[in-house]
Amino acid sequence: MEQRLMFEKILVANRGEIAVRIMRSARELDIKTVAIYEETDKDSYHITQGDEAICVGPGPRKDYLNIDGIIEAAKKAGAEAIHPGYGFLAENPDFSKACTDAGLAFIGPPHDVIRNLGSKVIARRIAKESDIPVIPATETLSQGAKGEDEALGFAAEYGYPTMIKAVAGGGGRGIRQVDDEKALLAGIKQSRSEALMSFGNDEVYLEKCVQRPQHVEVQILADKYGNVVHLGTRNCSIQRRHQKLIEMAPAVLKKPLTEEICGAAVRVAKAADYLSAGTVEFLVEPDGSFYFLEVNTRIQVEHTVTEMVTGIDLVREQLLIALGEPVGFSQDQVVERGYAIELRINAEDPKNDFFASPGVVQVYQAPGGHGVRLDGAIYQGYEIPRYYDSMLVKLTVYGFTWQEAVDRLARALDGFVIIGVKTTIPYFKQILQEPDFIQMKFDTSYIDTHPHLLDYLEEEGEMEKIARLIAEINAYGYNPHAQ
Amino acid sequence: MEGRITTEMSAEDILGMLQDADGYYLCNNERDVSQSDFKNRLMPMTTVKVAPHREATGFFSVEVSGGASVHVDLMRKQVNPFERLRISRKAMPNTLLQAVCRGASLFGYRHYPENVIRFAVREFAKYVDVWRVYDFLNHVPNMIPVFEEVQRAGRILMPSICFSTGKEHTDDYYVEKVKEILEVTGSDVIMSIKNHSGLGTPRRIGHLVEAIRKSCPDVILHYHGCNTDGNDIGRMITAVLAGVKICDVADHGLGAVYGQAPALTLIQTLRDYGKEAIGVDVQPLVRASDVLRRERRIYEPFENLFRGHDPTVASYKLTGGAAGSTFEQAEKGGFLDRMPEILEEMGRVQIELGNWWSVTPGSQILWTTAVNNVLYGRYERPSLDLKNLIMGRYGPLPFYDPQEWICQKVLEYQRSDGKKWHQIIAEEGGVVRPRDADLEKERENLENEVGRPVTNEDLALYLLYSFDTVSFLKFEARYGKTWLLPPEVWFRQGGFKLGERITFEDENGKPHYIEIISTRREGSTVITSLLVDHTFHTQSVTLEGADACPPPT
Repeated sequence: MEQRLMFEKILVANRGEIAVRIMRSARELDIKTVAIYEETDKDSYHITQGDEAICVGPGPRKDYLNIDGIIEAAKKAGAEAIHPGYGFLAENPDFSKACTDAGLAFIGPPHDVIRNLGSKVIARRIAKESDIPVIPATETLSQGAKGEDEALGFAAEYGYPTMIKAVAGGGGRGIRQVDDEKALLAGIKQSRSEALMSFGNDEVYLEKCVQRPQHVEVQILADKYGNVVHLGTRNCSIQRRHQKLIEMAPAVLKKPLTEEICGAAVRVAKAADYLSAGTVEFLVEPDGSFYFLEVNTRIQVEHTVTEMVTGIDLVREQLLIALGEPVGFSQDQVVERGYAIELRINAEDPKNDFFASPGVVQVYQAPGGHGVRLDGAIYQGYEIPRYYDSMLVKLTVYGFTWQEAVDRLARALDGFVIIGVKTTIPYFKQILQEPDFIQMKFDTSYIDTHPHLLDYLEEEGEMEKIARLIAEINAYGYNPHAQ
Repeated sequence: MEGRITTEMSAEDILGMLQDADGYYLCNNERDVSQSDFKNRLMPMTTVKVAPHREATGFFSVEVSGGASVHVDLMRKQVNPFERLRISRKAMPNTLLQAVCRGASLFGYRHYPENVIRFAVREFAKYVDVWRVYDFLNHVPNMIPVFEEVQRAGRILMPSICFSTGKEHTDDYYVEKVKEILEVTGSDVIMSIKNHSGLGTPRRIGHLVEAIRKSCPDVILHYHGCNTDGNDIGRMITAVLAGVKICDVADHGLGAVYGQAPALTLIQTLRDYGKEAIGVDVQPLVRASDVLRRERRIYEPFENLFRGHDPTVASYKLTGGAAGSTFEQAEKGGFLDRMPEILEEMGRVQIELGNWWSVTPGSQILWTTAVNNVLYGRYERPSLDLKNLIMGRYGPLPFYDPQEWICQKVLEYQRSDGKKWHQIIAEEGGVVRPRDADLEKERENLENEVGRPVTNEDLALYLLYSFDTVSFLKFEARYGKTWLLPPEVWFRQGGFKLGERITFEDENGKPHYIEIISTRREGSTVITSLLVDHTFHTQSVTLEGADACPPPT
């Protein structure tokens, strides 16, 4: 058997569940992993899953964003490559470049690809040149009054509502829909401010508002030999304020439309000289017309649904591609089977505008069984730090049919016992009983048009309640409720 | 067993069987035993534990609800009274469930608005098969709304005549009262003789039954008596021999003094007279008491302070159901040593106020009046309820009015308008029916209190006891179904030992455990670590009141 060239050690420049996820695939390839952490994150589960761990600074957050510090840690540990995960530095072209400059392999696209596709304006240009429809939009708005005039001119042509977007945006930040001139002018200022804080770049542009579309994305893999394959579609329409809540694969579009969109995704990737795993996002209108939205140049949170229906380990492919290997299969070999749905179980209180609910996870029991996958980084006794995102665990289920997947998801959610923090679980349970969801009738307005989903009672487990009484009897020495 | 009555039979069939019965049936009055001898503290899991034996025994019915038990369920046991009925039904699916109801006072102490009575009875009638209904003045109009709702629900109605002793309490009076009730209810009922204080000799009761039977030969009679004087077996014997078809009894392992007399003693005695308890299997009856003897130890702290039979009840006439609470009040009020005086005074005020029946809410009026008379001087501190009684708010007094000097002292007490007592009665006296409640408004109020939609059952409880229902519903939301715990845990004194494991089953029969791992105190906070179904929990409790002070070192 041919001896494969392999990394001996990689550094995972991330935390939480995605760090653990990457370490799992690395371990399967017999690659040692180096975890990094900030002082404020020293109890994070991912640290225990790496072969080594390096503290990169006191934190919070800034040291996970410190390119020099992380490169230094990788060098010190003797790592040959860095996997950025998602978020933090994953789509920062400077990080990719710094890795390359330091002689470390960056497990992701080259910096110029990230830079080009990270610029929404350049990305749109690439898409247009590949004959892919894009949503009518302005160029980057000029600063000051000139930019406002440009915006008003665009709105006059395409009408309201219209979208303001950050050029360097992502993850829903810096995006806002405005309904009139006054809101447009105020929104430009707010979006610039948000974009500057989130991405260090205050450039914004306007885009025609596509109403009630489905958010469909295509997973692609590309190697340095010019091979680009797609792994089918995902539907991420169920969003709250442009943040995805529930994702599924496949997107369940008509076959010709699916083929057209997947073909478009491959064309964009080829035109951009793409490398590694990436996601091409589209908006699909009810009549089947679709628009290119953007390319995410990283592994995505929801990659697990694609893995469930295709059986392909995307992180493993990323690692092998970074080693210089070709994509390990042809397009014909990619087969989607059944349905997968993923939920993000966050420590948030849906009734309190999904505000973070930090605290100690006093009890954690997770479901299992056929077709259930968990990607988490919590444990019983874990105090969720308030500095990082609130995701506790990703639940992904597979079903041979859509209904089976929905049923399994409901069963799996019932199997969770998470005590100590409020979670999104009761909200998801509501969705799983909602007829439109069950009948797959949803678009990006689903959450806004189903406000009653928040009308649920928060039920603690019966045993937890009874244990509370036992503790009171124990504390008082008598039952204060029986007097 | 042959002749056994079960839940599968229609009310009509059941009444027919009773009519034709040669022997007699037994009602296990767990509710009254719990109220009279254990301050109503019997927990549902005790009922569940003994239920298979009771179910196998073949009682006509088991009285599990009504009286003060409904309120105590909410206040002291944190059990939903409807849930308790569901538990009993599940545990004894073939046995009729019975409840006692105080007419217009339902399960409370004052008259409720008529629409509240009807609403609550409709909800309870979903579970209660047999309704024993009485009024402490034997004032029939006070019972009519309950009669109507019970019959509308197709349940068995058991209207009662309250019984007492004295020259006014003639057979003629009671026979006329039976006729008055039957005119309202029709003949498809079981007429109950409610001897709540266990008064009269066996001979007296026998004569009473004969008199009723003579005048109304087709009426089915039930006898309910307390065993305070130790002679209720004798009364039940003469009652059955004279034609009573159902008697209220207790398990000999649980029945004590103020509740009912033991079933087995009655069975053994009447057998000698050639009368058999129909449908009853004695073996499970004995086993039930074997279980209850062990269980009884849990309830020892709630047993009456005055133990042993008391034949002097013939003069003070305190109902068995009020025994526990009155003695408890005396102890808490610091006048337990004056009980002999108070009981003597009770007998006196009984006569002075009209010699009606010392049963709720009248028993509370007599008790409070006697206590206040002893502690503060005769009629020097009349209660509002006594005023209402003399004003005729509960209905007309059956035999005679109190003497003028009593009316004057009671009605003119703290009266600022200078009106004299006869003027007060003339202008303000008589029955004043409470105005109907706005049920939807009350529902809205309750929903606002508990922060969720409420059921009709929740609303029924709220209409009866608004404050305690809200407290209970909040408790249940926070602590869950704590009645699942073993009763000895609910009544635990002294906390738990380290390593102690509490085991119990949930409603679906799944076993659970909670094990005490560690306890430590930091100031007024006690931190308990527990193993709950294999999972580690930590609970912090901040102590309040006197318990918050650090323990002496």
